[in-house]
Amino acid sequence: MRIAIHHQLSITPPPETGNMVFQLLMTPRSGATQKVERWSVETTGIGNAARYADAFGNTVHFVNQMRPEGPVGITATGVVETSDRNGVLGKPTGEPVPGLYLRATTLTKVPVTLYGKFRGMKDDRIGLLHALMARVGEVLGGEEMQAGQLQSQDGQSQTQTVGEARKADAALLAHGFIGAARALDIPARYVSGYLLGDGEPPGLHGWAEAYDPGLGWIGFDPYLQICPSEQHVRLCVGLDALSTTPVRAVPDGNGVKTIAVSVEAA
Amino acid sequence: MGDTAPFDEMYDADGTVREPYRALAQWIDEQPEKALSLMQADAEGIFRRLGITFAVYGSDEGTEKLIPFDVIPRIISATEWRRLSKGIEQRVRALNAFLYDVYHRQEILKAGRIPEKLIVNNAAFCPDMMGVDPAKGVYSHIIGVDIVRVGPDEFYVLEDNLRTPSGVSYMLEDREAMMQLAPDLFQRIKVAPVETYPENLRRTLESVAPANVAGTPTIVVLTPGIHNSAYFEHSFLADQMGAQLCEGQDLFVDGGKVYMRTTTGPERVDVIYRRIDDDFLDPLTFRPDSMLGVPGLFNAYRAGNVTLVNAPGTGIADDKAVYTYVPQIIEFYLGEKSILSNVPTYNCTDEDQRAYVLEHIGELVVKEVHGSGGYGMLVGPTSTKAQQAEFKKKIEARPDNYIVQPTLALSTCPTYVNSGIAPRHVDLRPYVLVGDKVRITPGGLTRVALTKGSLVVNSSQGGGTKDTWVLED
Repeated sequence: MRIAIHHQLSITPPPETGNMVFQLLMTPRSGATQKVERWSVETTGIGNAARYADAFGNTVHFVNQMRPEGPVGITATGVVETSDRNGVLGKPTGEPVPGLYLRATTLTKVPVTLYGKFRGMKDDRIGLLHALMARVGEVLGGEEMQAGQLQSQDGQSQTQTVGEARKADAALLAHGFIGAARALDIPARYVSGYLLGDGEPPGLHGWAEAYDPGLGWIGFDPYLQICPSEQHVRLCVGLDALSTTPVRAVPDGNGVKTIAVSVEAA
Repeated sequence: MGDTAPFDEMYDADGTVREPYRALAQWIDEQPEKALSLMQADAEGIFRRLGITFAVYGSDEGTEKLIPFDVIPRIISATEWRRLSKGIEQRVRALNAFLYDVYHRQEILKAGRIPEKLIVNNAAFCPDMMGVDPAKGVYSHIIGVDIVRVGPDEFYVLEDNLRTPSGVSYMLEDREAMMQLAPDLFQRIKVAPVETYPENLRRTLESVAPANVAGTPTIVVLTPGIHNSAYFEHSFLADQMGAQLCEGQDLFVDGGKVYMRTTTGPERVDVIYRRIDDDFLDPLTFRPDSMLGVPGLFNAYRAGNVTLVNAPGTGIADDKAVYTYVPQIIEFYLGEKSILSNVPTYNCTDEDQRAYVLEHIGELVVKEVHGSGGYGMLVGPTSTKAQQAEFKKKIEARPDNYIVQPTLALSTCPTYVNSGIAPRHVDLRPYVLVGDKVRITPGGLTRVALTKGSLVVNSSQGGGTKDTWVLED
């Protein structure tokens, strides 16, 4: 399906800032499950930006602004055509190698109680990953979880809208899934993206992908308890939510604020 | 190893002077009484004038100290050096190939030669470096390989420092001082020059400028500032190369490129010899609280607009746990047997080896995997029972955090001490430059443990230095 996305953020640098530098991970790439029809990222200074691929294969815009005055706005707009492949992305053709995604990070630390009982299931990796997704949903997705408490897990300081709270929950579950998979020697990575919701408010979302030597990368959305569908638009991948932060800035003043996110069928 | 008398580099067991030292021994014999003691006093004056000092971390005085210099040079024959330098070149080529591989396709891990998790889960592995293609494929351009000698033909590599090795200024100043103190000796003995180092450093740095640089690349030395223990060396090397010495605040990134603030406006920078640790290089990518680095520097690097020397993430190749695999690394990438040996190393995560280590800790040397400068280590034979008990506990708690090696009988060299000339233990750090080619300065920095019987040569722990002579044929 065709999905139109409009994503708007803003940063207010502290007064007297000489040079604000910021890195944008706001450009989706085409792949097995999606084709980017058109996409643009707009901000002051974008014409002078350095553009390159980062360690995880994401498209990065690196922008700076001398003596910025007042808030700096950043907007990403575009249309992506998605298809439902039950989350199967296939084998990567280039780098980085899946083994990189065995690295443990602070955000993906999990207790052994989350994954210990799957140790005997290593021969059936696909079955294991589905069972793990269910387990993560049960253990970490309970009602007692308060979105507000989880915000730090997200690695970003942003104003919390309904969509943001959902994203923080989603990130927590994805981190649980990723940490458990890695502990079981299965490469797993974080995916930032957009979701066209069914009864869920559309907007920013986060899920996980795990590696199978036969099928390649496969998506798992522990928050929705499904493999990603044609309603998921992949934005960037990384070790965790922190390494896929859409906007990272120095100095970042009071943080990056989300002004608006709209995700609609086009 | 360990149970025989240490190898003396000047005298054979029967007291005859070894060939490389003959001319020096004769010269010493000819000196009038007190000549050496006068030389030693003069040396101190020379070093005070040169201003070479270092700061000892954690010392109460917090003062700058003069590193002790010994007036008797350490001598290596041309034949010995040929073998050493061949072995060093082999190592630095293999380790750079290893760095390229672990930050690209990781073939060595796929081949099962090194455990995958030892690399990707290592704190010294820098995921942000995946896929970076540095100029000429070189990651570690400036290397200081720590070598010890235990016999006439027996050399061991202790550590391959591939991050930001320091001390090269001592090598240069030791030679400078020696030439002032005993010019006649250099008439008698043909010694390979070391003073080409700054020129070779400049050539190496120029050779690894980004491909798109037209004309002569602009090089700067990036220092954390005057409070760093090696600040003298940073300013010395910048001066010797004719490069600007900068702190983070002197540089900025604009349009993905790096510039230096100058009185005549911004000047584009192509190559940065940085003496700031990875974590502090760029608050945007690494530690956000770093005030020493340049925001966006890593992005400019990643975009291919500047060369960082050494590259971030080179620490994975001199990690103490990876060290044990260097012979396999050499074989994997070069298809050669390693010329220089590693010190046999016990792996404490292995139950049997750990049991041996705990039993024999009084004979062994224990090092922290991520430690340096002689801090956080235990030298079994000179330690107290309490220290041994403390390290046993530490090893049991975190076996992966320590490597353990036998106590090596480091070779000794004649050294001028209060009681006259006496043997003292030494090590050697040759300096290697890797760019368009590998350039190894003949000799290097000899560190000497000035306390009788001591094996700890670190300047922070009471070690001194000697001028190191490689004889020319």
